[in-house]
Amino acid sequence: MGSTTTTTEDKSKAAAFRIGLGDITPNNLGQLKRLNTVLFPVVYTSSFYKEVLEVGEFAKIIYFNDICVGGVCCRKENVPGSTSLQNLYIATLGVLAPYRRLGLGSKLLKHILENAKLPSSSGPKIAKVYLHVQTNNEEAVEFYKKYGFEVVEKCENYYPQFDVKDAFKLEKVLIEKN
Amino acid sequence: MKELPPKEANLFREILECYQSKQYKRGFKGAEQILRKFPDHGETLAMKGLFYNQMDKKEEAYELVKKGLRQDLKSHICWHVFGLLYRSDKNYEEASKCYINALKYDKENIQILRDLSLLQMQMRNLEGYLDTRHQLLELRPQNRQYWVTVAIAYQLLGKPELGVKVLATYEETLKDLPTTPDYEHSEMLLYHNSLLEEAGQIQEALEHLDAIEKQVCDHKAIKENRARYLLALGHMEEAQEAYRALLAINPDNVAYFEGLQKSMNLLNSSGDNRNNGKLTEEQQSKVLDLFMSLQKEYPRSNAAKRLPLRYATGEEFVKITDKYLRNMLRKGVPSLFVNIKSLYADKEKQKAVEKLALGYLAALEKSKGFDHSGSIIEPPTALLWTLYFLAQHFDYKRDTNKALEYIEQAIQHTPTLVELYMIKGRILKHAGEYIKAMDALNEARQLDLQDRFINTKCTKYMLRADKMAEAEKTIVMFTRADIVNPLNDLVEMQAQWFALAAGESHLRQGQIGRALRRFHQIEKHFNDYTEDQFDFHTYCPRKMTLRAYVSLVRLEDQLRSHPYYVRAAHGAIQCYLTIFDKPDGEDDEAMKGMTEAEKKKFRNKKRKAELKAQQEAEDRKKANAAALEASKKAGSNAAVALVEEDTEGRPLGRNPKVLEALARSGWQ
Repeated sequence: MGSTTTTTEDKSKAAAFRIGLGDITPNNLGQLKRLNTVLFPVVYTSSFYKEVLEVGEFAKIIYFNDICVGGVCCRKENVPGSTSLQNLYIATLGVLAPYRRLGLGSKLLKHILENAKLPSSSGPKIAKVYLHVQTNNEEAVEFYKKYGFEVVEKCENYYPQFDVKDAFKLEKVLIEKN
Repeated sequence: MKELPPKEANLFREILECYQSKQYKRGFKGAEQILRKFPDHGETLAMKGLFYNQMDKKEEAYELVKKGLRQDLKSHICWHVFGLLYRSDKNYEEASKCYINALKYDKENIQILRDLSLLQMQMRNLEGYLDTRHQLLELRPQNRQYWVTVAIAYQLLGKPELGVKVLATYEETLKDLPTTPDYEHSEMLLYHNSLLEEAGQIQEALEHLDAIEKQVCDHKAIKENRARYLLALGHMEEAQEAYRALLAINPDNVAYFEGLQKSMNLLNSSGDNRNNGKLTEEQQSKVLDLFMSLQKEYPRSNAAKRLPLRYATGEEFVKITDKYLRNMLRKGVPSLFVNIKSLYADKEKQKAVEKLALGYLAALEKSKGFDHSGSIIEPPTALLWTLYFLAQHFDYKRDTNKALEYIEQAIQHTPTLVELYMIKGRILKHAGEYIKAMDALNEARQLDLQDRFINTKCTKYMLRADKMAEAEKTIVMFTRADIVNPLNDLVEMQAQWFALAAGESHLRQGQIGRALRRFHQIEKHFNDYTEDQFDFHTYCPRKMTLRAYVSLVRLEDQLRSHPYYVRAAHGAIQCYLTIFDKPDGEDDEAMKGMTEAEKKKFRNKKRKAELKAQQEAEDRKKANAAALEASKKAGSNAAVALVEEDTEGRPLGRNPKVLEALARSGWQ
């Protein structure tokens, strides 16, 4: 839902900073929870966070000058009628407001896409990556389009609890179905 | 009768060896074998007693040793054994009396002399120690240990110059000096050098350094001593050179900077060195120039950047502080405020720092830079660390509202940073809001469960808020998991901060008994520290770590001036005063105006009620234990239940003094 685009500011004037990705563990899960509470209006359940701890590279937090300022959480979903393929759903991807336009969102998304494309020796492969975005969040739509996502569907009343209830479904196909 | 026939005499020698080599069972059997034939042989009886002592049978041990001694009052062995028995019970006074008796019958027994000297040192009978060590030296003049311990005795008696003479005499007897670096020899020489300094013979000490330099392994000590001596002797140029050489080795050692300043007459030893140090204008501009050039020389040194803030004033202070603060805020150094606050003794500087920081905040919010020039775009963390700094600044001024305002802004900016909640808690604690402070710390803790520091801090805040159960539950997350009562690990680890905070919390809540147990736990730790030095009396002279040994002995001499001990003593005194003032505890009010007979009746009634409650508690405990056993079998987490049990029970500190005082009073 949250979004970032790369910086448009003059990079030559910016003071140097460090960026790094980190694993989510039971010990720092509190930071991810705090991030999601601030970034998203949805309240995620404890079963959501339990899954986050089990998806490995598909859930990450990102550090800016050693401070945790953003994160991404995905889940794998089975493809009906297939044992060799899975879809990857991006449940959350967001960066704290003061740290946007610094390339952090891109770094998170690229990490997910790279790992989704990795050939896995065993187990199912990722067929496509998809997500939902509120229809009024143009910035986010543009962001995902830049990385090859396409709007495939408008889901009406997807977020019944919000003012803007409709959502776009965006997806990026990695393996074409035969 | 006292002489055993050859066969048994041999066996007796064997059992002495068994004791030396810790083969207690074999020794015990040997002693019994002799006693079957000679049941009244005093020395064997005493030895058997000593073996009993090793098997933890104290009563039998004392009985047998005394019996043996009665049989053979003129045996040095019997007296020595008696001394060893007392020593094992830490009764050093009696032990040394026994040794002295033993020496009456065997004047030159090295082992007994050594044992006696250790007790004398432990009890700081320094005259006695010197005397005993002298005797040892005369008996074994070829042994280096005995020379150095005589020197140590003189030094501790305030006569380092005599120590120097002893060591010099010893060194003259050495024929071949070690050709390769020899650590022990090197340490002895440096100890010799330190004695010269302590005797005030600085010129000799300096010359001595030159003489021993080639044989010394600790090059840093040579360099530091030389710089110090040159300075003390007023050889300023050479001292300056020496301190510059030291800075090249470690450009973050504040003592080196101060030495350099002194050698250049840029530090007034009488002035307040945290601020300006009463320098003249000329000195001030020179010292700032000095640090400018040192910063260029050592660009990675923080001390070179930080120290000039002490000496600069007015415009100059603003200029260099501005540079310093920007650098640190950009980098994100959480300890920045701690680094700065000693300057605040100067109100002017405090104001200047405040003005600078508020300026950064305004500029960062508007132009993303520390000023409005737009020349550099700072990372978003610069704003965050500026807010963090300002919160601490206003907390220092006890402007709680402003401090909270800034820390809340910081939390809004980056809600994932643990440090922010710690400062929030600190501000609230200073404002007396202990519960809210604890909540803030707990929030911080939940952000990083593997951070031991924040877990410990949070526990402390819980204790400050008198939430004992929460505190115990929190701290056991970091104690050893593999023992029955995880809280006992804290006692084992001598975690005094916990014992103190818990004791003070009990005291605040009027739980005098529990508070006393905690304060006496602290006392026990300090007794252990005193006890722990015993082994060093032999170990250090053997390993020649003499400088460290003397500093240890001196530390032990003032051990109980440590703030923890003082706080524990204050707490305990308060407890005892309460017991004295209100011997019937909480019932004191109720018993006012009663006659003695009525009081007695009241107490009896209460005791009965207590007994009943105790019985019920026991039953509960049993039920608990059974439930626990069951849950263990089910594989669930038993630790929590055990902790809860401990808050009810009182496994800590079974100090008889405490129990007695409590038993006499109505407090428990």
